[in-house]
Amino acid sequence: MPLVAAYFRPDSLDEALSLLAGPHRIVLGGGTTINSDRQRSDVEVVDLQALGLDSIESSETELRIGATATLADVAGSDQVPDGLRAIARRESPSTLRTLATIGGLIASAHPDSVLLAALLVHGASVDLAGSEAMPLASVLAQGVPSQAIITAVRLDPTGVLCHAATGRTPADVPIVAAVARAGAGGISLALTGVAATPITVDPDDPVGGLAPPGDFRGSSGYRVELAGVLAARALGGLR
Amino acid sequence: MSNEHSITFELNGAPTTVAIQVHENLRDVLRALGMFSVKFGSSDGETGAAAILFDGELASADVILAAQADGHKVTTVESINTERDLHPVQAAFAATGAIQSGYSAGAMILGTLALLEQNPDPTEADIRDMLSGILDRETAYVKPVEAVKRAAAVMRGEATEPFAPLIVQPMTDGTNSIEYDPTSPAPRASQAVPRLIPSRDVPEMAVVGHPEIKVDAVKLAKGNPAFTDDIELRGMLFAKLLTSPHAHANIVDIDDTAALALPGVHAVLHYKNTPRIKYASGGQSWPNPYPYDQVSFDTKVRHVGDRVAVVAAESVAIAEHAVSLIDVTYEVLPAIFDEHQAMLPGAPVIHDETDTTEIFDRDRNLVHQITAERGDVTKALADSSLVFEQTFRVHQVQQCPIEPHISIAWLDADERLVIRTATQVPFHTRRMVAPLLGLEVKDVRVIKPRIGGGFGAKQEMLLEDIVGHLAIATRRPVRLELTREEEFVSSRTRHPQTITYRTAVAPDGMLIAQDMYVLANTGPYGTHGMTVQTVTGLRGLTSYNAPNKRFHCDVVYTNIPVPGAYRGYGAPQAEFALEAHMEDIAAELGMDAIEFKRLNWAKVGSEMDIAPHLGERAVAEGELDEYPKVMSSGIEECVAQGMREVQWHRRDDPSWVQPADRPHIRRGIGFAFCMHGTAIPFLDMGGCSIKINDDGSFNMLVGATDLGTGADTVLGQIAAEVLGVALDDIKVYSSDTDMTPFDTGAYASSTTYISGTAVMKAAEVVRKRLKERAAMLLDVEIPCTIELRNKRAYAADGRSVSLEEIALDSLHTQEQEQIMGTASYVSQDCPPPFAAQFAEIEVDTETGQVTVTKLVMAVDCGVAINPITASGQVEGGMAQALGYAHCEEYDYDESGRMSNSSFGPYKIYRADEMPEMTVFLAQTMEDSGPFGAKAVAEIPKDGVAPAIRNAILNATGVAINEIPFTPERVWNALHTA
Ligand SMILES: Cc1cc2nc3c(=O)[nH]c(=O)nc-3n(C[C@H](O)[C@H](O)[C@H](O)COP(=O)(O)OP(=O)(O)OC[C@H]3O[C@@H](n4cnc5c(N)ncnc54)[C@H](O)[C@@H]3O)c2cc1C
Ligand code: FES
Repeated sequence: MPLVAAYFRPDSLDEALSLLAGPHRIVLGGGTTINSDRQRSDVEVVDLQALGLDSIESSETELRIGATATLADVAGSDQVPDGLRAIARRESPSTLRTLATIGGLIASAHPDSVLLAALLVHGASVDLAGSEAMPLASVLAQGVPSQAIITAVRLDPTGVLCHAATGRTPADVPIVAAVARAGAGGISLALTGVAATPITVDPDDPVGGLAPPGDFRGSSGYRVELAGVLAARALGGLR
Repeated sequence: MSNEHSITFELNGAPTTVAIQVHENLRDVLRALGMFSVKFGSSDGETGAAAILFDGELASADVILAAQADGHKVTTVESINTERDLHPVQAAFAATGAIQSGYSAGAMILGTLALLEQNPDPTEADIRDMLSGILDRETAYVKPVEAVKRAAAVMRGEATEPFAPLIVQPMTDGTNSIEYDPTSPAPRASQAVPRLIPSRDVPEMAVVGHPEIKVDAVKLAKGNPAFTDDIELRGMLFAKLLTSPHAHANIVDIDDTAALALPGVHAVLHYKNTPRIKYASGGQSWPNPYPYDQVSFDTKVRHVGDRVAVVAAESVAIAEHAVSLIDVTYEVLPAIFDEHQAMLPGAPVIHDETDTTEIFDRDRNLVHQITAERGDVTKALADSSLVFEQTFRVHQVQQCPIEPHISIAWLDADERLVIRTATQVPFHTRRMVAPLLGLEVKDVRVIKPRIGGGFGAKQEMLLEDIVGHLAIATRRPVRLELTREEEFVSSRTRHPQTITYRTAVAPDGMLIAQDMYVLANTGPYGTHGMTVQTVTGLRGLTSYNAPNKRFHCDVVYTNIPVPGAYRGYGAPQAEFALEAHMEDIAAELGMDAIEFKRLNWAKVGSEMDIAPHLGERAVAEGELDEYPKVMSSGIEECVAQGMREVQWHRRDDPSWVQPADRPHIRRGIGFAFCMHGTAIPFLDMGGCSIKINDDGSFNMLVGATDLGTGADTVLGQIAAEVLGVALDDIKVYSSDTDMTPFDTGAYASSTTYISGTAVMKAAEVVRKRLKERAAMLLDVEIPCTIELRNKRAYAADGRSVSLEEIALDSLHTQEQEQIMGTASYVSQDCPPPFAAQFAEIEVDTETGQVTVTKLVMAVDCGVAINPITASGQVEGGMAQALGYAHCEEYDYDESGRMSNSSFGPYKIYRADEMPEMTVFLAQTMEDSGPFGAKAVAEIPKDGVAPAIRNAILNATGVAINEIPFTPERVWNALHTA
């Protein structure tokens, strides 16, 4: 366990931003990473739960998911298209998805997150307090700007989603997954398990330039192999 | 808010204000408030043992800061414990056998409450999704899913039938095989319902053979404080281990000054201040097999995770801090991990110390060499024209009990050391720990409370010496619990092996010779190194008859975390290789695999001839007049039932194997023949004592250790049957070395058979005396004409007296005495259970992903004393075996550090991804067992891996000779084939 040395629960975004200016301060979303063994250093946490950032709203062209909405909220919301809901449900088991937040998911930028890949193909952008909004792909690539807070993610909820994945078991975190979407702007494709974060790739050349880090679940070469097969399946599923 | 603070939240409906430390998690705070149903499984929330309802939603309290809970609603299972009776959801879990160890029962019951609140009529998928965050190593989720369905029905106000086995008529005459009929439909029932095939040899009984509810169901369903950690002792200190970051190093120096100076630290122990007394940690009968290659704290570390030092402090946080302040100077040495490297010239010598003796060849890291032979294998192989040779590799996995190892020790009022500990072997532990602490056995008391799963990992004296040392040093109670990561690297695992078979076959398919060579990796310590590999030889060379058999095994030291006992012992390793090898020989011979195996497998009357030449009490050639024989076997019934259930003919149907709508999928069905043992003959011993109470009920004390297996229940059923009372009239207590008779412990599939026979004998002593006292009261001349049933003693003429009247009379009225009986039992036999394991799978030929869609096991376990608990053993065993075959593995970096020491990266199956499972219990009457019982607990570990391997072969034509069948391994095999 990391030693959480101080806990703050601000009532406003402004207060949260000024608290974050202190040393060793980090944002606490659901806490599933921070409060687990995975977080190794000692921190002071700024809990966002009182900021009312958990709403999920949609219009015809935009879905807005508040940063402290949990994965269970997303999976359970009828504002969210079915394909995304199903992926949100698969992301974490029952006892963690009720805690883990969309903001935490984005900030963690975990390379195996299928939900992040799905958000990518939906053209998501990230609203930040303390910084300009950014495309999700940039947040994943560069990280959350220092001392900024993710307040929401916005995306185009339309289109058709299809995904394909390979894992050790049916509910395992996929070694590689491909998520494809056919939307008004054309076809988009994202992959997990092939780079430091989920990434979008060219649907016409999904494996071009990939150099995935390998591990015991899948070597680099095997991951490239999977990426090709799964991309073709996900794209094929759109037809 | 910083450091100390108070929070206010609603706990089970009551506003609660409590002072917390800011770093504390909600799990620990709830436990401190007495919510003992909230359990520790891991600190990342992955096990779900600490799941609570957080504002009505299921959530792991491990990863919720207590501070986050301020202002919220928290619900634990204690909220429904408002009366003695169980809540209907709890009752449904008890009735369906969904509770084994019960460690995560509270979490599952809470999840059910929340699910049914949202959706009174959930689908199976909804139920499995709810359970997806609560890992279970015991039930395979089969009966918990059934429990939720039943709870839903009850809550909707529907009537439910008692949960009972489905009686299935035998298909065979009990001995001979039958022709497979593809049109014959399999019996239909929920998969949780065991299919019970009666045997005409088995009489109808009152308690034995019935699906009695477990005797411990109430406390476990309620989450009552029953486990090691569920006590609070005044002044208790918390211990933390400092473990080695190096796979192999000398400890040059330890400086504990800074750690000792930290306020709140009471002791720091290491090699400088503990005695150097050699021991072997495996929980085995006296004298423990050599070599004694461990000491409590050594000057050398031999694997990452090995003990270096331990701290006892006022809190876990202080102890952790102190551990980081211990300054250790290491001289890092080269390390070896692979069993093939261990004996190579120039390999580092892992036990170069002079005070470890009895290592077979120290310089080659060869700790044991085990050999046994029947007939003349060299000659038979040389003379045969059909010789098949294959090599297989089986890997390292962990038992993964959801409750990690935990021990608490203190000095009692008499200054005796009490150790309350999660152990399978309380009596061995007492005997083994005493000398390490400078105590006599009489000054140590070991208490085994409820255990949250063990599976062999707890057949070990693992932490007890440490807490003992600390309790003596500090004169305070001391608690040490392993983290999940420590459970992976600092406890015990399964032995990896490389196995080579050479088999000579006659043209008609009869085996002429089997030669088995095993290179086994026991890590840096012997513990179970000799005995596990002995079982590999025994199992690997007993299943099939051959006039010539030879076992040669080299057991080597390496620097991996320590292998030890794991359910199945060395059998799953052997049976993977054997069943794969036999499958391939059949194909080479152009024979049907089942026909070929049937031709050769052990049958009633077959001699188990290699067995006496292996093991701790091995005899030399010529020392025995007669070899033990198989006395009962229901294998043909098992095969027939299993083939029908799995619809065996589909494996030969190309349109099924290659489904038209999914061109990249190939389907297959595989089979494995399984034969296991029941207890270690002449060694395993159990004891029991039974006494009557005023009301005609009985207290029964057994040394046998129920790990969640249902042993207490099964033993109670045996006593109840003999004494003619209901199970509820037998109050079972196990096990406490001060109170209960000796028992070797829970291992080697021995409890029902060995301890069960001890119970039967003790009950018979009591019964005899009850009849004599009844005869006095009824004025009957010949006591043995009296019968006990329905808690009364009946004379032949129909007159009767109640057991209560007998008890009151004997305790208070005339010729007063305590009616009681004590007995113990050691067996000369080891009657093998048999089983047919089937697996149905799909292979994605483009990715290598294997999906296991169905597992069927039909087991001959003799008479199932309790068909519900017996089938639960089979389901849970198959699920663990599935993990072994399919997805569990250790991954190390080049320095020997495990890279995947948490659940997720180390993948164990969860509820929403399980294959369908069906269990058949094909009864036979084993005359040597209590009421005809044999063992059932370990055989389900044996057949899953080879059945899946043979199914992949059926599906793709590709034979894979190493496990686990993870996607890349399978993909590589498909692409090199
Ligand atoms: C298969 C899989 C494995 C994973 N393994 C890991 C892992 O090993 N390590 C890992 O870090 N994550 C991992 N994750 C991601 C993680 O488990 C959760 O998905 C995510 O952290 C959930 O958010 P939370 O609210 O619980 O996060 P928290 O634990 O609260 O926070 C996680 C991180 O996000 C930051 N954060 C949270 N909310 C915001 C916000 N609104 N604005 C800015 N920053 C914010 C926190 O400061 C912290 O750095 C994994 C995810 C998957 C799918
Ligand atoms: S045997 Fe003694 S009374 Fe029957």
